[in-house]
Amino acid sequence: MEPVIQVKHLKKYFPIKGLFFTKGHVKAVDDISFEIYKGETFGLVGESGCGKTTTGRTILRLIEPTAGEIIFEGKNVMKFSKEEMKEFRRKAQIMFQDPYSSLNPRQTVFDIIMEPVKFHGIEVDDPEEFVVKLLESVGLNEMHLYRYPHEFSGGQRQRIALARLMALKPQFIVLDEPTSALDVSVQANILNTLKDLQSEYGFTYLFISHDLGVVKYMSHRIGVMYLGKLVEIGPSDRIFENPLHPYTQMLLSAIPVPDPELAQELKAKRKMVKGEPPSPINPPTGCRFHPRCPFAKEICKKEEPPLVKVEENHYVACWLYAKS
Amino acid sequence: MQEEYKKGILDRLADKFVYALGSFISLFKKGWKEKNKSKMEEWRLMLYALNRSPPALIGLVLVIGFIFLGIFGPHLAPWKYNYFPSLENWTVQYPAPPGTSVYLPYSHKTITYPLGSDNYGRDLLSMLLHGARTSFVISIIVIFLGVPLGIILGLIAGYHGGKIDELIMRITDMFLAFPALILAIALSAVLPQRLQMFVQSHVVLEKLTLLLFALDRREVGNLGNLLSVIFAMIIVWWPAYARITRGSTLTEKEKLYIEAARAIGLSSRTIMFKHILPNIIGPILVYITLDFGGVILMEAGLSFLGLGATPPIADWGRIVYDGIQYFPRAWWLIFYPGLLVMLVALGWNLLGDGFRDILDPKTRRSIEFKVKKSEEAESNV
Repeated sequence: MEPVIQVKHLKKYFPIKGLFFTKGHVKAVDDISFEIYKGETFGLVGESGCGKTTTGRTILRLIEPTAGEIIFEGKNVMKFSKEEMKEFRRKAQIMFQDPYSSLNPRQTVFDIIMEPVKFHGIEVDDPEEFVVKLLESVGLNEMHLYRYPHEFSGGQRQRIALARLMALKPQFIVLDEPTSALDVSVQANILNTLKDLQSEYGFTYLFISHDLGVVKYMSHRIGVMYLGKLVEIGPSDRIFENPLHPYTQMLLSAIPVPDPELAQELKAKRKMVKGEPPSPINPPTGCRFHPRCPFAKEICKKEEPPLVKVEENHYVACWLYAKS
Repeated sequence: MQEEYKKGILDRLADKFVYALGSFISLFKKGWKEKNKSKMEEWRLMLYALNRSPPALIGLVLVIGFIFLGIFGPHLAPWKYNYFPSLENWTVQYPAPPGTSVYLPYSHKTITYPLGSDNYGRDLLSMLLHGARTSFVISIIVIFLGVPLGIILGLIAGYHGGKIDELIMRITDMFLAFPALILAIALSAVLPQRLQMFVQSHVVLEKLTLLLFALDRREVGNLGNLLSVIFAMIIVWWPAYARITRGSTLTEKEKLYIEAARAIGLSSRTIMFKHILPNIIGPILVYITLDFGGVILMEAGLSFLGLGATPPIADWGRIVYDGIQYFPRAWWLIFYPGLLVMLVALGWNLLGDGFRDILDPKTRRSIEFKVKKSEEAESNV
């Protein structure tokens, strides 16, 4: 199958500015590679501050990457001309976490949705009818056409943001924790809308979240990030049934379960991992997880583990599975 | 206890006004009224907020009065500002006190001074009315040229950041480093001759200036001074706006809807003027309103120091300056122009303070809540 987007050795370092010169770098994303195929949802999980959001934004060139290649439909995004970039902006879109600040408070819903359409010169016979159709497809209606964002709830705003994306008929959408600011019932609603739209229009999603349950529900494949590195990539069900990397195991054991006996067992597992994630300014040498890993060996401190194939489509970066 | 909200006459007037405005715009843009219900509702609430604030209303009345005088003053004035009765009848001791009547033997007219006269026998009332136009036009030109300059530079500096930001803001700092009045004095002392030559070599500009200030053709030679004050004040005025705009832009550009606009691919110009500017304009509008008073004060101050408008052009600050040597006998030469300057500056300041509350969405929400409650109560009865 043809990948829609390919990320190769992507790096993003944020400089820390001192008085006169740069003091160091925050290595938000450090050499990650993956690809996303047409019509699938690729979930990106990890703790806060591990570089998930930066990855999503760098792929869309909302933040310029430090190094690496982004291949969109076979072409390098970094080398796009002005026209190609405009086309890319239409085809690749992003949905944000916070619905309260992602809509311009001074524009009506109609203007919010029509602005990208007008900018990209998409021909529409009757703008009003066009916008109403879009609103209906995300579960809003005609009544909301000329209202301002402050008149809507969080869930409704997120739907307006979704309608804005869909107006451009993008092929690839980065969903940057689209539901984490919403309550559970609204979350389910939005997630189902996203799924329906995907099966209807064949959208490709990069789904960024720290909520494992949501990621499991949404994604076909999952990538687990730790301190700017991808530590494990695999099909959604395999990751949940057979997590290979100790960090993935730790993450999964942190999901609350309603069964008290099972909960006890998981608690014991959770205790194996100690401490907080270290600072991305000065990440540990070798495997970045080694100071917290219960299985850490001598080699883990010295050399970075390569990403190795363990089973079909399932890769992990850990010395437990790789040969040195 | 929640305060009950009762609709007063002013509120009903506000309802009618907003409705009429909506209908008026609908004449040109079909269906505008139906599409912009939310906007009109906001306007209505803003007017309600205005009605709740007596100082702002007083300010509004003063400001409307000033604008009215500024536009129609020279036409309302019974005498021309450059008509000198002392040339016809030198037996009277000028400045003549309020209420004096003087017979003018050559033109066979009697001139009555309701507010007194100056040392040339000019009617003070007429001079004040002409002076209103001078202040009004100067304040408008300074604000309308100086403020956009500051806003545009501030937006560019704040949005682009980095080297551009450094460059623009350091230049701004250079201007801010001088005390405003000193800089204005220096500029209006240096500029007049050059501006005079410039104006006289451009006929259209010359005619336009004369028309704006409602001046006679023979005042052409005095335009340089008038324009130099305007120019000096524009130079003094923009840096403050560049700074506040940059500050608000810095916070606003971090909001997600700006990033969404960038993800759509919009140019930075569109983002700056269509997305950032409308969202930061509120505090700037308050500042502008306050500054109308500020410009008038400073202009009066400069002409009091002998810069700017030269006699016989009528100007409030200048009248005080020329009247000083007759104080305290001719108190009216100081009192009336001083009172006018004070009232106008006070009016703009009260209005500006009122705007601060009116433009605050929180005030509007609380009024909206009370209005809805009282409307429900009404419909239940």
